[in-house]
Amino acid sequence: MGKYYIGLDGGSTYLKAALIGNGQVVDTMVRSTGIDNNGTAQLLARELCNRNAVTPSEVGYIMATGYSRKVLEMADDDISEITAHAYGVRLTAPKEYQPGMIIDIGGQDSKIIYLDSHYAVKNFSMNDKCAAGTGKFMEVIAQILETTIDQVGPLSLESTSPCDINSTCVVFAQSEVISLVARKYDRRDILAGMHLSMVRRIIKMMKKSEKQGDILMTGGGALNIGLHKAFEEELMRDVYVASWPQFNGAIGAALIGSERG
Amino acid sequence: MQTEEQKSKTAPGREPQTKYLREQQKKQRQQQRFIKKETQTAARYLGRLEQLSGAPAAMQPFVEVLRRIYVEMQGVETDRPTIGTYCVMVPQELIYAAGAQPVKLCSGNYTAFSIGDDLTPRDACPLVKAVAGFQHTGLMPVYRDCSMMVVPITCDCKKKIAGMLRDSVELITLHVPASREDADMEAYLRQLYELMERLEAATGSPISSGSLAEGFQMVGRAQAEFSEFIRLRKSSPALLRGTHSMAMMNASAYMSADRWADAMHGVNLELKERIRTGEKISSRSLPRILLTGSPIVFPNIKIPLLIEEMGGLVSADETCMGERGMWDPAVITDHSFNGMLRALANRALRPCPCPTFADNTQRIYRLKQMIRDNEIQGVIYHVLRGCLVYDFEYRQIEEELGKLEIPVIRLESDYNEEDVEQLRIRIEAFIELIKLRQEPVRRTGIRESF
Ligand code: SF4
Ligand code: SF4
Repeated sequence: MGKYYIGLDGGSTYLKAALIGNGQVVDTMVRSTGIDNNGTAQLLARELCNRNAVTPSEVGYIMATGYSRKVLEMADDDISEITAHAYGVRLTAPKEYQPGMIIDIGGQDSKIIYLDSHYAVKNFSMNDKCAAGTGKFMEVIAQILETTIDQVGPLSLESTSPCDINSTCVVFAQSEVISLVARKYDRRDILAGMHLSMVRRIIKMMKKSEKQGDILMTGGGALNIGLHKAFEEELMRDVYVASWPQFNGAIGAALIGSERG
Repeated sequence: MQTEEQKSKTAPGREPQTKYLREQQKKQRQQQRFIKKETQTAARYLGRLEQLSGAPAAMQPFVEVLRRIYVEMQGVETDRPTIGTYCVMVPQELIYAAGAQPVKLCSGNYTAFSIGDDLTPRDACPLVKAVAGFQHTGLMPVYRDCSMMVVPITCDCKKKIAGMLRDSVELITLHVPASREDADMEAYLRQLYELMERLEAATGSPISSGSLAEGFQMVGRAQAEFSEFIRLRKSSPALLRGTHSMAMMNASAYMSADRWADAMHGVNLELKERIRTGEKISSRSLPRILLTGSPIVFPNIKIPLLIEEMGGLVSADETCMGERGMWDPAVITDHSFNGMLRALANRALRPCPCPTFADNTQRIYRLKQMIRDNEIQGVIYHVLRGCLVYDFEYRQIEEELGKLEIPVIRLESDYNEEDVEQLRIRIEAFIELIKLRQEPVRRTGIRESF
């Protein structure tokens, strides 16, 4: 039937959509969720199609994923986030990536998904109780250091001697950062220390037994170059960054949909 | 308004109490809290078990037994003395022959676990922690009433728990060999003779060829109903949910073989009726999953429950409180007393797919056979935290099943509910994985608008 497929990823604050066709990502779009999840999803889908001159009849399948996937009635079906992320990698990872591990750092939580060589989910660990390492956490720190979230990464790379930051807990780290500022430490060193301590926290979550394949970063955290470099330093390995990292779930959902319509 | 309990703690100027009395009251309050928590948890899981669709009406007697033991906190319904056993390697026939009632004491209890956690090393498995917890509180009739306990030494946890239990109960250990050479079998046979003497001493009734034959008969009838049940359970589309099946098997731990066989007979009739009327548990074809690994004991049935609540089907299990609990009857080739005991030793060890044996080609073979017979599409390998023997085998099993292109995941869990969300997410992804491997149902029709 249609040659386009839509994936919708409903998070608690943002709703993301991806349009794919011909086995490639055509376009992506994001909006804040609002109160009416399904209504927002309809608007988003319409806008996404209009922008790319695609008519509804050309859309073969709409697949929802994410936190609010069950309420997105406009979708034909829904799939769990884990499965969607695992699928998304097929389109978002660089060519040379050998499926192994996905580190997804989102706004509210961070998770690690382990894939076998066929991109099937083998294992997974998630940090949903702790804000350390997430976008929310970075925002708080950026504010204290009087900078913006997209500057924290580049700034941290300029550091020559990263501060030692031991608390990985948002609450404690916040006061630790404040006291470092008071003691006149360079904010670039504070940021570098911050990234390292976050990364160590996430690495602790990793299962030691799952070491095969390459590592790919997705989610908003993947856009933070400071975080990316800190992972490479700490793991002493190459870490890849996905294209459209924040849309990996939506792209994966669309790709699963493409097998059905 | 103060409650009675608060008054007794705080009221000033009341009659002077002895320290002893105060301690007693404090202990009593602690015990009441334990009982409350234990019974509530058990009742909640029984509720979920009953809510899960597709339960046969004939399952009720089994549910009542679980309710009696864990919610009403009563002992096993019997007028015989009870003998507590751990693990499937204790021949039940011998216990019946001594005029006693066997009861399996391996525990899945979260409340007892939280007590036992303080009494054992951190890395001990939750199953023995829960046993230690029950023994320590002394509140559980099925443990308290035992005339003797039989503990096969299958792993380090069992060995050490035997040592702990010995302080407060009459106990015998059975040394389970690590392999099954002829000499090992002879050694195990000698253990059974020793067990026999201890049973006679504990119950005061001698075991004769006649009483042993009766024991064989009792257990044999249960095994016959069981194999009929297993035959029916293999049906595709499924007639029954695995969680229900596992609960019924689990209940056998606290029932006489006779009563269990009668109740099972009812279930088998109902399942045959389902075949006749074409009743299935679901109109859709559910992903058929084999559940294996560390023991799953009520009320720790969160994993089978999650699998089936998330749209999967546990179409077979290879676990010791489940299908392994009652495999093939013992084969007697020599009808002398010694011959009968030998048959019991052989049955207990030779076909056993438990990972406590050093060599485990048997287990792999058994799993492959179950995968074929039950049209299994995926395997969930359950590992209790600290259960090394099962964990050790995971790699080999993953490799072997990989050759058959059967997906398998390892789920580690503990006796509490903190890991439920993580387990749910992984189980959901696994079920989706199986579904994605099937031919997709395509959407047809034109979309007019969004
Ligand atoms: S470490 Fe801090 S942010 Fe993380 S869970 Fe603990 S209190 Fe929360
Ligand atoms: S086999 Fe595993 S679950 Fe059973 S007692 Fe040993 S360690 Fe515990």
